Amino acid sequence: MTRILSVLLAAAVSLCILFPAASPGARDVAGELRKERGRLLEMKEREEKTTRELTEALRKEKLSKGRVGELQERLKRQRSLLSRIDRKVSTLNERLERAEKAVRQLEAAHGQARTGLHRAEVVAFVGQRAGAGDPWYPSARERERHFMRVYLAADAEGVARITRARERKEEERYGLERQVAVTERKMAREKKVGDTLLSRQEKERQRLADIGREKKRKVKELKSLRAKIARMESVVSRVERQVKERERRARKAAPGGSAARGPAEAPRRFASLSGGLSAPLAGKVVTRFGRQHDTTFDVTIENRGVEIEAPSGASVKSIGRGEVAFAGAVSGFGNVLIVQHGGGLFSVYGRMETFLVKQGEAVKKGTVVGRLQGSPSGKSVLYLELRAGGTAIDPTSVIPLDS
Amino acid sequence: MSERPSLWWIDWRLSRGPLVQETIGRFLFFCLLGFALLSLLLSGGVSRILADRYAITAMLRSEVPSSEAEGLARKAAALPPVRSATYRDPEAAWEEFLRAYPGLGPVRGAGENPLPGYIEIRIRPDRLTGADVDLVVSSLRSVPLIEHVLAGEVWLPRLLRAGRLASRACWGIFGAFLACFFLVGRLQERARAVALAGDFSFLAERGVPSGRLAFFRAAGAAVSGFLLAAAGTAAGGGALFLFLRMFPFLEGVVGPPSDLLLPRTVAAAALFSCGAALLSAAASVLGWRAARPGRK
Repeated sequence: MTRILSVLLAAAVSLCILFPAASPGARDVAGELRKERGRLLEMKEREEKTTRELTEALRKEKLSKGRVGELQERLKRQRSLLSRIDRKVSTLNERLERAEKAVRQLEAAHGQARTGLHRAEVVAFVGQRAGAGDPWYPSARERERHFMRVYLAADAEGVARITRARERKEEERYGLERQVAVTERKMAREKKVGDTLLSRQEKERQRLADIGREKKRKVKELKSLRAKIARMESVVSRVERQVKERERRARKAAPGGSAARGPAEAPRRFASLSGGLSAPLAGKVVTRFGRQHDTTFDVTIENRGVEIEAPSGASVKSIGRGEVAFAGAVSGFGNVLIVQHGGGLFSVYGRMETFLVKQGEAVKKGTVVGRLQGSPSGKSVLYLELRAGGTAIDPTSVIPLDS
Repeated sequence: MSERPSLWWIDWRLSRGPLVQETIGRFLFFCLLGFALLSLLLSGGVSRILADRYAITAMLRSEVPSSEAEGLARKAAALPPVRSATYRDPEAAWEEFLRAYPGLGPVRGAGENPLPGYIEIRIRPDRLTGADVDLVVSSLRSVPLIEHVLAGEVWLPRLLRAGRLASRACWGIFGAFLACFFLVGRLQERARAVALAGDFSFLAERGVPSGRLAFFRAAGAAVSGFLLAAAGTAAGGGALFLFLRMFPFLEGVVGPPSDLLLPRTVAAAALFSCGAALLSAAASVLGWRAARPGRK
């Protein structure tokens, strides 16, 4: 489509060059040019909009990436915690098994000791019954009974000791079981949290993929728009050349040719502009000229002018003597005023709210040409672009501006 | 012819045959009595049996080493009423316990021995009295190494009382045999006096006083009784000696054979012989009087 437009424009320009005769024809060409310019400006506005959308998409992508990274970090911590809990559960289970084994051994020992004690009691009873009242060895019997009492007391103490040990081990086992249960509950809880994090991570990934797709689409769109801008620049340059050519012919056609001598002799550098240059308004440069890299969104934007911050509604003055070449709305820049200073020098004022001069009106240095837009914050910016011989130059290099 | 005939051994000269038989019988009887007397003297009745069965047991504390326990046993053996004191270590105590309760061997298995060592103290048979036992027990209880003293406080008085009764019964039996000897001897003397009454009347008609005749008969009986008792006791002692040598386990009941030669044993045997002489004389006199005419 743009190629067709370019071909048409080239044909129109060629026709204008080949048939420059009548002024009505020239007016038609100028009208066509204005229409073409308006369309190109609209395309530029679309490009800027796409750039903003892309920037927003990049910002969202970065945020989403950050969120995914954070989720991954949390997930990693969660997995580490789960592995720690797993290890703790394993350790607790091992301790529990040991405690259960000890309890089983103690129970066996306890049963054996109790059996032994009962048997000893039976033996003691039978022995004492059999030897009761033995008149022949009373002292020996007395000593044996005493031994049996000592033996039974030792056995009973052993049984009591084993019972106490078993009770202690039982308590320890119950404690371990409780600990295992608590740890398992904690592990289940943490697993649930991990599942939630995984789900969130999955969602964020899906979202990131959506953003990526959107980004690709926007990049593609931006690429297309940049191409359009480039073509628009080319067209504008050609229009500028056409304007110059038309002026040259008009000067030749005019008698004496003195009227056209002024612009023809005009300087080709802003520094040599007669009357000097002055700042369009008092303010601070907030956007610099040239290629600027945005670290936040990792994008590079090439500025062809500067932006000066100033109070809303401030008066915008012409930076030097010249003639208003254009006053109209430009997409993305609001109301734009272009002052032709002659010699291929142009100054462009964008983001204005009102114009105080008309197209074709001569202005001097310091002439108020318009006012800035109003904003709720009380601050507005003026877009200032200087072009010399069709090339944008840094305004701060020729005009003293507060940076 | 005023010569007086000697009245010594008048019975022997008048009735030799029956008197030989009596003498042999009395000798054998004295042998039995001497055996019994010496057995009773050596055993102290049942004192030696009781002393052999009775022992004081001093239970030591579990942490007492063997050397200290043996030293303590030696000190206990030095007490006057103590015949012997023997230390038994815990292993010996455990073996003794297992002998008494053999069913506990498999139960205990390889378990720890809970029994302590002990000292077994035996009392002299002649000192087996409540006072002497209390003396030993109080001495042992004051020793800190000893945890418990088993002296049979509950049954010992009963045992001593039974021992005293048994000893008295033994001596009573011995006395009864001695009384039997006296009565039999009196009857024999009377019978012989009756049998020789004609001879004694002939002597009386020839001027021999009956009192003098009775005196010499009694003197002869005393001398023969003393000699027979001494010979019988010696023979009984010899038999007892041989008996104890043949059956050593009887030493625990009677006593060691060496005690037969103790001075107190010999003195007791001599005293017994004297008593036998007196009894023989008394039996002779009483038999003479019983055989006199008009006392039928």
